[in-house]
Amino acid sequence: MGEVHPALILLAGGLLLFALPTGPRRVVSVLLPVFGFLNLLAIPEGAMWQITWGGYEMVALRVDKLSLLFGYSFHLAAFIGAIYALHLKDRLQIGTGLIYAGSGVGAVFAGDLIALFVFWELLAITSVFLVWARGGERALRSGMRYLAMQIASGLLLLIGAVCCYLKTGSLSFDHIGLGATYHYLLLFAFGIKCAFPLLHNWLIDAYPESTPAGTVFLSAFTTKTAVYALARGFAGEEVLIYIGAVMTIFPIFYAAIENDMRRVLSYSMINQIGFMTVGIGLGGALGINGAVSHAFNDVIFKGLLFMSMGAILFRTGSIKASELGGLYKSMPWTCACCIVGASSISAIPLFSGFISKSMVIQGAADSGAVVLWLVLLFASAGVLHHAGIKIPFFAFFSHDAKIRCREAPLNMRVAMTISAVLCVVIGSYPPLLYDLLPHPVDYVPYTTTHVVLQLQLVFFAVLAFVVLMLTGNYPPELPCVNLDVDWVYRRALPAAVRGVVRTGGPIVDGFFAGGKALVQKLIAAIREQHNTEGLFGRAWLSQSNVLIAIIFLAIYLIYFF
Amino acid sequence: MNDSPKKNEAVRRLVLGFVACCVSLLLLDLIVHRHLSFAEGLLPVEGWFGFYAVYGFVSPYALIVIGSIPLRKLIMRSEEYYDG
Amino acid sequence: MIDAHLPILLIVAPLVSAPLCVLLRQKTLVWAFAFVVCLASLGMASLLLVRVLQDGVISYALGGWIAPWGIEYRVDVVNAFVLLLVAIIAAALVVFALPSAADEIAAEQHYLFYAAYLLCFAGLMGIAITGDAFNVFVFLEISSLSSYALIALGRDRRALIASYQYLIMGTLGATFIVIGIGLMYMMTGTLNMADLSERLPAMFETRTAMVAFAFLSVGLAIKAAMFPLHAWLPNAYCYAPSVVTAFLAATATKVSIYAFLRFTFTVWGAEFVFERLNFDALLIPLSLVGIYAASLSAIYQTDVKRLLAYSSVAQIGYMMLGIGFVSVTGLTGGMVHLFNHAMMKAALFLAVGCVVLRVGSSKLADWKGMGRRMPITMAAFVLAGLSLIGVPLTVGFVSKWYLILAALEKGWWPIALLALLSSLLAVVYVWRVVEVAYFQRMDEPAPVKEAPWPMQVSMWVLTGATLYFGLQTDLTVRVAQRAAMGLLGVTP
Repeated sequence: MGEVHPALILLAGGLLLFALPTGPRRVVSVLLPVFGFLNLLAIPEGAMWQITWGGYEMVALRVDKLSLLFGYSFHLAAFIGAIYALHLKDRLQIGTGLIYAGSGVGAVFAGDLIALFVFWELLAITSVFLVWARGGERALRSGMRYLAMQIASGLLLLIGAVCCYLKTGSLSFDHIGLGATYHYLLLFAFGIKCAFPLLHNWLIDAYPESTPAGTVFLSAFTTKTAVYALARGFAGEEVLIYIGAVMTIFPIFYAAIENDMRRVLSYSMINQIGFMTVGIGLGGALGINGAVSHAFNDVIFKGLLFMSMGAILFRTGSIKASELGGLYKSMPWTCACCIVGASSISAIPLFSGFISKSMVIQGAADSGAVVLWLVLLFASAGVLHHAGIKIPFFAFFSHDAKIRCREAPLNMRVAMTISAVLCVVIGSYPPLLYDLLPHPVDYVPYTTTHVVLQLQLVFFAVLAFVVLMLTGNYPPELPCVNLDVDWVYRRALPAAVRGVVRTGGPIVDGFFAGGKALVQKLIAAIREQHNTEGLFGRAWLSQSNVLIAIIFLAIYLIYFF
Repeated sequence: MNDSPKKNEAVRRLVLGFVACCVSLLLLDLIVHRHLSFAEGLLPVEGWFGFYAVYGFVSPYALIVIGSIPLRKLIMRSEEYYDG
Repeated sequence: MIDAHLPILLIVAPLVSAPLCVLLRQKTLVWAFAFVVCLASLGMASLLLVRVLQDGVISYALGGWIAPWGIEYRVDVVNAFVLLLVAIIAAALVVFALPSAADEIAAEQHYLFYAAYLLCFAGLMGIAITGDAFNVFVFLEISSLSSYALIALGRDRRALIASYQYLIMGTLGATFIVIGIGLMYMMTGTLNMADLSERLPAMFETRTAMVAFAFLSVGLAIKAAMFPLHAWLPNAYCYAPSVVTAFLAATATKVSIYAFLRFTFTVWGAEFVFERLNFDALLIPLSLVGIYAASLSAIYQTDVKRLLAYSSVAQIGYMMLGIGFVSVTGLTGGMVHLFNHAMMKAALFLAVGCVVLRVGSSKLADWKGMGRRMPITMAAFVLAGLSLIGVPLTVGFVSKWYLILAALEKGWWPIALLALLSSLLAVVYVWRVVEVAYFQRMDEPAPVKEAPWPMQVSMWVLTGATLYFGLQTDLTVRVAQRAAMGLLGVTP
């Protein structure tokens, strides 16, 4: 127990932030991830923090290369997020943000299913405050829907863990695989947090409703924790390939016609997680390496994109494509950083997305899956369209919306710059990331063939955009809401319930009215017998209580005989 | 979409330059010796001239024209849809 | 030497102190005296548990009359656990009572309050410690009569009505219990529990045995406020002084459940109750219906005390559910929840007590903006509320874990699922308070101070306990496990 648990620093520190006045709070909030990171460097690999909890031996800290990679990534994200949030006077966001980060760290270092569950729930509970921090009815409702899904995921995980214990006598969190029923429970639990198709809507719903800084935090931890859990528990499960392939495809249709820029990014997030899921499903050194390195990069470049959009929201008060445009004059620095992020997500050579996404695609080719490979290629061209071009183009260029505002605050620019530099550095010097990966890497991203072909793909995809714009075929930016799975529980189900109530109501009412009349007669009869006048309420209550007790006794007696 | 003729000219030049880049990239296909992603014979199309360029152009084009635009007709609602 | 007399001292100390309180009369003096007595009892109860864990069952013959002729106090892990629980709560609440009772109870009745409090405490301890069936009834009456008085001390006039209702139901329950015990005495000629358990099996075939068990279990179900015999509870909890509410919620129903466990498992034996009478087939559906019905009622309450009262009824359902599984894991879950729920519900009622002290109302509508006006109190409320929901790292999760484990152990998926889903109802009713307290603004918030420190201390001690025992489950789970094994006659 000599080691300090990495989650502890962020969790305890995050709590401490609530008690500090503004100045010290700002300093501490940035220092906490740094301390956490230094502590992480000092921890040896292996199982630590064995705790007995109600007779179970639990491992609250299991360190290996896989968990370390996510640990580094989360500390980095917390550090950048803390800088991005420095201007805030509000202690709720930075406090819960860092506790939320700590929960993510705890989850990836959890060595057994109970510890995982604990942090899993903590992730849900802390993150919802980031949604609520925006204030207002909309954020409140969205947060509630978000929380419901997250708690459902937690419940599934809990049942899965209990079943796992009953079946195997162990709670340790290692490769799970698919076979028994409870394996599917766990897969669903992870799947909800991982935004599997049809279970994805909480992400689209809630992330864009959060504050500028809140979304930056949100984008980093929940889904990546789920990716980690999948990589740990379900590596090489074929079903994940199909699920992941669907995840790469369907969001891009939505993203192209979505008006809220942060919602576009949320859709593109699912698309990126799709690539990771495919990598995990493929398994093997290349697949897993590709999946987790892409997760690492995604935390940075998706965070960067969310930061740039957050800065726009912060300065202009709007984040709708239909209301923005021409901001490159007012916010050139933000614009430049955004373009770096967009280039990374589009996997342009020399940017970070290139060196990780290509591993997954090559993994698909190695396994000989032609259709899958074509799908992934299609999805990479598609992601380029909405995240790579749409985001910077409609925000900073396009038609001038005549918005003149100040450049983003200094702390936001610093945070974005750090991310942008990281995108380029990792993209240009792959060993930096490759050395951290769980499996040894013998993949070389920078071959002439690969660079040329990727550039061809990217440039012609952009050309398609240019042609569509010039011919006026690109869907115009319109203020709108697009229906997604949430329509089922926000519209269809309530309507169905109303319908049932409307038609079934009279029947039920009649039933109850009849029953009520009967009970009233019964009570009246008893009252007559006992004949207590006055003090109506209490006499009535006590008598009926006594009656219930006697009926109960009779039921017992009849039952026992 | 652009207001001044001066700006239109700039856009025209930008587009022309970009198309030139695309063409030269395409021509590189003739020079560069390409390694196939797949094992021999699985997907020969991959090695054809301009495969990536065509795929890169067609897939997003198709995505928008036969995907998103019809989808929009189906699912687009007013912004106040859920508020009412 | 005094060690040997621990069991009797534990009962006699509060019992004798009660009349002394009446003699002392002076408010602060009475409080200090009660405080010392409670603290001493807590020490003795802890010592007793340690002793039992080390040496096994302790039997104490009252007045030197050997059982089965005399009255025997018999302490094993099960009741040592319950004794400790009651003593912890009593000691923590007596601190709270100093400012709270001063505010809520008329000054000339203070000494009476402490006298009744000690009497009730003694009665509850007595039920838990005795090994004599009739003695259970006697102590039950002591605790009940004093709790009627305690509830009636509430400043709201409706407290009298509530107390009266409770009196009717309590008397009925006690009557049923005494009928049951009488029948058992008639059949076997003994009142000693150990003796009963030896002689009763010969009578299992008779109808008298079934009738006796039916009376006994319905009587205890009334006292434990098991659904649907709970109707006395919401009013009693709502109108009683805050400290009394917390005390009764944390101890009275728990001790009744203990008595139920004792009679079911030790005296009658699991074989008779569950195999011959199939009692579990009745108990489990009833508990589930109770959990849902009471949780739903809690959601619609407009008074926080009443909301928590209905939640108590639901939580009793969980304990009964654990018992209904008739397995070591299930009973462990039930026993642990008994302990855990006492901690969290006491903490919650104390938080309500703090608000009542400052704002004068437990009506939900008056709680607007309370998150800002009394942040420390509301933080405790939220933390204890999380326990009620069963969030990990809190005690509620520990209980939930064992209940789910027990259900799945039997392969009863639907029950595990129903129990889990019911915690979403808890989310809703806790959320209703949180929403009002944190998200609704008061138009003209009057400045409000936090409650005085003694109240804060005892509230936070209990809230801390809900977190501490959520992580450190050694004491609670291990002891509950041993208790469950003892009840089922399984050797570890």
